Amino acid sequence: MKTTATKAAPVNAEVLDLVRRRRKLVKLSLGACAHCALCAESCFKYRNSGQDPTYTPSYKAINTIGKIVKRRGRLSPGEYEKVRELAFDKCVLCMRCRCPVGVDLPYLISLARSACREVGIERGYLEGKNA
Amino acid sequence: MIKATRKPLEEISSSVKGYGRILVLGCGGCTSVCLAGGQRESLELADDLAQVARAGGSTQHQSSATVERQCNPVFLAEISGRIADCDCVLSTACGAGVQNLSDAFPALPVFPALDTLFIGVDIDVGLYEERCRHCASCMLAYTGGICPVTRCAKSLFNGPCGGTRVDGGCEVGEGKSCAWLEIHDRLKAQGRLDSILSLRPPMDWVDRGPATLVQVGYEGRYTAAKVAAP
Ligand code: SF4
Ligand code: SF4
Ligand code: SF4
Repeated sequence: MKTTATKAAPVNAEVLDLVRRRRKLVKLSLGACAHCALCAESCFKYRNSGQDPTYTPSYKAINTIGKIVKRRGRLSPGEYEKVRELAFDKCVLCMRCRCPVGVDLPYLISLARSACREVGIERGYLEGKNA
Repeated sequence: MIKATRKPLEEISSSVKGYGRILVLGCGGCTSVCLAGGQRESLELADDLAQVARAGGSTQHQSSATVERQCNPVFLAEISGRIADCDCVLSTACGAGVQNLSDAFPALPVFPALDTLFIGVDIDVGLYEERCRHCASCMLAYTGGICPVTRCAKSLFNGPCGGTRVDGGCEVGEGKSCAWLEIHDRLKAQGRLDSILSLRPPMDWVDRGPATLVQVGYEGRYTAAKVAAP
């Protein structure tokens, strides 16, 4: 994912705590990802998107919690917005995606959602984005 | 999705009265969508409770957190650290979420902050209508996609009661239309009126214990010891 040039926000203590607790698991999981993209076919959002690669479950995990962990939570508001788009708009956490290696992709995406919530970002239900 | 609404503040505050540290736990699932119990609403509730506590001279402390879905143990495990720091939890999930939370942390008092109302559709932001009573024997194939159990005031199965108003309204009023007139009109327009001409047997409303569903294809995964038959 292309990073934005906006200044990184000061790191949120709760996000830092989440990163500390889950760092090993996230690194191990994403390190095990073979980038085979077999998970894509199990995601109905991917299949309904005209096979847009940014809907691939592994892409969503790598570019959300993977990025948050790698940068120890220091993402700019613009970057968090991109994480929000991937973790909330492009995933419904139906938990149906399957990885042949055993990477728990929905759990990883749920961690990204938790981090978003800690910095006050979630889905805009008030604006009627209920899909 | 499931639709719910917040209980009156007096009822909520009286349920947590006497507890020092309260965690208001939001749900990122259905109750977020219906604007009753997501992150924003759980923060608002924590604020409202803080005001009540201050006004009553109490030192009660409120905090809030939100998990993806309280009906899934995977997501509940994420907040065990926060749970250890509180004396009780006020859940803004549906009744299923509250129970799942209580089962996951049996030593912890868990209170509902919402009244769970129905399974419904989103008409507009903040406007929802009931559509299904999960009767376990869906009739929609015969009734043109209009549920007589939910949308007929008397849940009739074989045509209207005779109280349909001239303007097409239901005799119980409340601005509701007669579900059976709607069923008739839709089926007529689709040329499928024959689908309601034969009598349907009464629904088997027999009392039963809580249901369990093992989805087709998953039978081998769950042993008989783990899952009781529905
Ligand atoms: S959990 Fe998200 S990524 Fe996985 S299948 Fe569902 S929508 Fe796709
Ligand atoms: S706990 Fe209830 S409100 Fe929350 S996602 Fe599950 S079913 Fe919906
Ligand atoms: S008949 Fe009505 S209440 Fe029963 S499952 Fe179908 S929609 Fe739901």
